[in-house]
Amino acid sequence: MASTAVTASPSREVARDPVLLLPVVVAGGLAIGWLGVHEQVSGTRIAADLALAWALITASLVVLERPRWRRARWMLAAAAFALLGADLEWSSAHTLWTLGFLLEGFWAAVMVQLVLTFPEGRARSRIGQVAIVGAYAVTFGGQLVGAFVSPDARDILSVAPHASFAHAVDRAQEISGVGLAALVLFLILQRLRVLRGPRRRAQGPLLVAAAIDIATGLVWLGWVIATDAAASTAETIERAVTVSLPLGVVAGIAWSRLRRPEASELVVELRTEEAASMRERLALALGDPTLDVAYRLGDGRYVDATGRPIALPQGPDRAVTAVTAGGEEIAALVHDPALLDEPGLVESVRATAGLVLDNERLAAEVRSQLAEVRASRGRIVAAADAERRRIERNLHDGAQQRLVTLSLALGLEASRADTAAANALSRAQDEVEHAIAELRELARGIHPTLLRDEGLEAAVEALARRTTLPVRVRGTARHRFSDAVELAAYFVAAEALTNVVKHASATEASVLLERKAGVLRVTVTDDGVGGARIAADSGLAGLSDRLEALDATLVIESEPDEGTTVSAEIPCGS
Amino acid sequence: MCDDSGVRKRVLIVDDHEPFRAVARELLEGAGYTVAGEAADAAEALAAVAADAPDAVLLDVQLPDRDGFSVAAALAAADGPAVVLISSREADDYGRRIALCGARGFIPKSKLSGAAFAALLE
Repeated sequence: MASTAVTASPSREVARDPVLLLPVVVAGGLAIGWLGVHEQVSGTRIAADLALAWALITASLVVLERPRWRRARWMLAAAAFALLGADLEWSSAHTLWTLGFLLEGFWAAVMVQLVLTFPEGRARSRIGQVAIVGAYAVTFGGQLVGAFVSPDARDILSVAPHASFAHAVDRAQEISGVGLAALVLFLILQRLRVLRGPRRRAQGPLLVAAAIDIATGLVWLGWVIATDAAASTAETIERAVTVSLPLGVVAGIAWSRLRRPEASELVVELRTEEAASMRERLALALGDPTLDVAYRLGDGRYVDATGRPIALPQGPDRAVTAVTAGGEEIAALVHDPALLDEPGLVESVRATAGLVLDNERLAAEVRSQLAEVRASRGRIVAAADAERRRIERNLHDGAQQRLVTLSLALGLEASRADTAAANALSRAQDEVEHAIAELRELARGIHPTLLRDEGLEAAVEALARRTTLPVRVRGTARHRFSDAVELAAYFVAAEALTNVVKHASATEASVLLERKAGVLRVTVTDDGVGGARIAADSGLAGLSDRLEALDATLVIESEPDEGTTVSAEIPCGS
Repeated sequence: MCDDSGVRKRVLIVDDHEPFRAVARELLEGAGYTVAGEAADAAEALAAVAADAPDAVLLDVQLPDRDGFSVAAALAAADGPAVVLISSREADDYGRRIALCGARGFIPKSKLSGAAFAALLE
């Protein structure tokens, strides 16, 4: 189950390795530097450009240790080349100058893409995609249009030289550049606001650097537009400030690494401290507040600490790391995929947390089994209830129906017979009537029809009417509950009233039905002799499976001479 | 029990238990009623009421296709014949449903007699 980052095959990786680009960029930088000196470009400007290009390529090499940042690595290298390419404008050779002219702002568009897709290389929103496409359109597209109309003699692409039109293109680029920069700044600030944990450590420095860089850039662009000035000094400053972006990339990696010793220290504590807040501890150790622990049971299912089954997530937004002990997977850490960029970090936690997690897992397994036992008991009780209902119906539709017909037929014959025969028939009819009455009571005890049809209160009221002493029914339980809850409540009332009649020597009793905060409470009180208890073979004790299946409680209070109160609390949902 | 005018009231007996229908027929005929017909389920009962227009229906609550309460309610809604419900259970087993279905009353089967039937039809 352990997730590993997918890497390209070794041969392809070597062929695309930006390490090979390092000498190219260094040499290219030196060549551009020589060109600048030769063409009398200011030394500060040459230094700023070389510093930025070399910083970009260095960052792209540092990023090599993060396989998931492959695209960011290539964007850093591409920006370095584009920057050096733009400096070809320093050349007096027409072809090189034109190439430099076309690439003038291209590197900035690559940086926009890097910042908005960092580090995985995917834009996070449609508006981010728009900003990236816009950046390329304004820089490269703008320069291409400009090249067609530029009056500059070195421009080999100029087909319709037009000074004022070329100037208008420049201004359009600058104004749309301001708009785009503001949009990118907004997206960066938005992202910074939601970044947490390992992502903030890895991405935060670059994003902060980019935000500062853009803010500075907006100032100089505004100044250029306002004063309509050439902006060579401002360009130099801007490039120098932009060096903070590749530095930000490297700083993010360094900050993430700083977490390692801190994590192992916290994990050492894990061995000794209570594991009650295991999830919080691991989340703290790994610096990932979204971390979850899924314990693996013997049957392959995963549960949380309370024993509730959970499914492991799939997809790129979450990563799953297996924790093993003694070669057996005991848990899975579900975490931010950014943690995979620090394999040593997860590994250290995985190694030390194994034992504690194994204990936690056993506890979770017990909780899960308890929940299963309860559910299983519930199913057994429900199956038994269905069977009781079937038996009750069969008694009515079969034996009782025939006995009733027999009784009526006997009565009919008695009315027609002579006196002696009539007496015999009447006695027979009486016996049948007794049998019917007993059968009816038996059937009611098996399953009360009225409960299913009319609900708890009606059934308990009928029960009260049949009881041989006055019983008052109070409460507001007209609400319908699940079959299991209604049956449990009904049987508690029925058994308690049976006990009152048999043992309490009471003059009256009452049944109170209340529903409060997800609990149905049934309270049966009498004014009898008290001193009652739940005997092991009593009807109330026989309800224990039914009540425990519902997580219900049964309490009996019965001081001598103070009557008896039997009270059941049955969780009934809302 | 029966009208003094000499016109005997016609009754439909509805119950899925044939031996019971036979006893009920004897009881009602002995009390001066004419048994217009017998039906074994709700569908037959509604068809017989439509065809024969009896004055009263002796209707079992537990029928194989529908319960007697819904048949009684349907007949009451259509301004049909008077209905007397019967069952092998007690009235207490049905709570308010007897009062709400539009029937004239309820007789437990074991207490069925011409007199009890006539008393509810008055």
